[in-house]
Amino acid sequence: MAAELALIVLSTVLVNNFVLSKMLGLCPFVGVTKNVENSMGMGMAVIFVIFLASVSGWFVNKFVLVPFNITFLRTVVFILLIAALVQLVETVMRKSFPALYKALGIYLPLITTNCVVLGAVILIMNREYGFFQTITYGIGVPVGFYLALFIISHIREQLAMAKIAKPLQGAPITLITTGLLALAFMGFSGLVRE
Amino acid sequence: METKASIENAASPAEGEAKAPSRAWTDFANALKTDNPVLRLVLGLCPTLAVSTSVQNALGMSAAVLFVLLGSNTVVSLLRNVIPAQVRIPAYIVVIASFVTIADLGIAALSTELYDALGIFIPLIVVNCIILGRAEAFAGKNPVGRSIADGMGMGIGFAWALVLLGGVREMLGSGTVLGFPVFDSVMVPVLGMRYVPMIAFVLPAGAFIILGFMVAYFNYLTLGPKKAETGHSH
Amino acid sequence: MNGTGKLVVVLTAITVGSAVALALVYSATKGPIEEARRQKMVRLLKNVLPPFDNEVAQESEEKSAGKDARGREIRRTVYTAKKEGKIVGRAFQVTAPDGYSGDILILMGVAPDGSLAGIEIVAHKETPGLGDKIAKKEWRETFKGKSLKSKLDVKKDGGEIDQFSGATISPRAVTKAVKEGLSFVEKEYGKAVRSPEHGVGGEE
Repeated sequence: MAAELALIVLSTVLVNNFVLSKMLGLCPFVGVTKNVENSMGMGMAVIFVIFLASVSGWFVNKFVLVPFNITFLRTVVFILLIAALVQLVETVMRKSFPALYKALGIYLPLITTNCVVLGAVILIMNREYGFFQTITYGIGVPVGFYLALFIISHIREQLAMAKIAKPLQGAPITLITTGLLALAFMGFSGLVRE
Repeated sequence: METKASIENAASPAEGEAKAPSRAWTDFANALKTDNPVLRLVLGLCPTLAVSTSVQNALGMSAAVLFVLLGSNTVVSLLRNVIPAQVRIPAYIVVIASFVTIADLGIAALSTELYDALGIFIPLIVVNCIILGRAEAFAGKNPVGRSIADGMGMGIGFAWALVLLGGVREMLGSGTVLGFPVFDSVMVPVLGMRYVPMIAFVLPAGAFIILGFMVAYFNYLTLGPKKAETGHSH
Repeated sequence: MNGTGKLVVVLTAITVGSAVALALVYSATKGPIEEARRQKMVRLLKNVLPPFDNEVAQESEEKSAGKDARGREIRRTVYTAKKEGKIVGRAFQVTAPDGYSGDILILMGVAPDGSLAGIEIVAHKETPGLGDKIAKKEWRETFKGKSLKSKLDVKKDGGEIDQFSGATISPRAVTKAVKEGLSFVEKEYGKAVRSPEHGVGGEE
């Protein structure tokens, strides 16, 4: 059991990294990674939301969608769940943890349309994960996302000082760098099976 | 150029329905050229990169996105005076998610192969920023005809970027286009050699790199050769 | 208060409208989706079985095939193909859990004499250009006619099945799963395999 859970973490963080191998969550990946501070803020907020979304998604699926035989409504239900969750987190954070809200608040609205969140919830459902697997997956996925943001934002801060042809500046050079990074991460494939 | 002409022909029925044809036409053309969602605005990247391993998958995904975009733009535009501003985002999301589910069920009924190939990226159309972006920026403020034209232009703009990327990846990575061996059909009789596919281009890494250069080329076109030159004349 | 009321009413109306519309679309597409899945299955079954004339997708039975690594029971649906009433082959899916990345789903057809009639790769996530060659026809064809008496291993392990340059794990995983499938047939239908009038009385 513990070994299986450890494998899920290793798999989601390195081998099947959502950004570099599954190509999910690319809009924030290209959009907010110009500097390290913003990226880390976004990364932390995503860890928070994905964990909550995975766990509540698991409950909704097991106790509402499956018993009532309405799994075809999963897309509508999950996206509403995520939107509501993000709203809730924002409200609670603003009232109870003002310091944290100051740091992460502005990233929260963007998370609703981050496909890492919905992707994680749907994959958990497709794979029929148990509760502990869900919790582990809900931590592993955003940590992998955080890692990708961490690496690319540091590279981009360096790139900002380099002389780059104008048409390549911004998104294009980020995409190309990400490609090289994905190539490097391929070295992890085969390390763990999903 | 040829593809562009055929794309514009295909779009003319929608334009005919528009209340103000000339304005709708401008919206459509703008969406197609200057505001290409993928190549200029760098939006909707996840499906663009993930399903463009072959032209066939790219076409399937494009059709699904076009359907959802037209549906959501139409409904959002029709309801624009009913939906209060405070709850517009959740309302838009419900509308979009409904059309995504219809597309999901429709593809499963039409082609199991395509359904399996696109996989999780069908439900994920719901978080494609192009669609919510258009509902918020355009359809929520404009009449139905213009919103349909805008959806058509955005959808086709997305489609041709996706098909172009899929074409390059399939050609380099598998040596085929729509399953037809483009290199081998010339190389085998003339040189007596087979094309050795560059696998990396089918993998995520190749997708990132090719899209990076495609966006750069479009920046170059918009900036103009002269301006672009100053960037690297050192 | 009135404002909030309107918000709730509008949102609820949209959500209910959406749910009703989706329920309608769901019930309309349910039949076609099942039919599309069934047709795909029949198409795959035709590829792995000798020519047959019965409604093979309907003539199936559930069998248990031991437990998997997590201790869950493996259930297999065995499809029986008949020609003029005589059994010409059986087909079922096996899973190779030890591919390079994730499970490989294989549909295999076995003739009544215990030899392989064909295999199809139903689903896999192997590396494009390397491990994914297991899905190629030329490679799958090499399984035809092989049985438990053949050396069902990749060449690297001293067997008769080709591996690919740079990719041994995927073909090895498939070969191992197919071998296990053949043992499963032997165990479940062994009598039918050995009796001279195979397939006539062995089934009942």
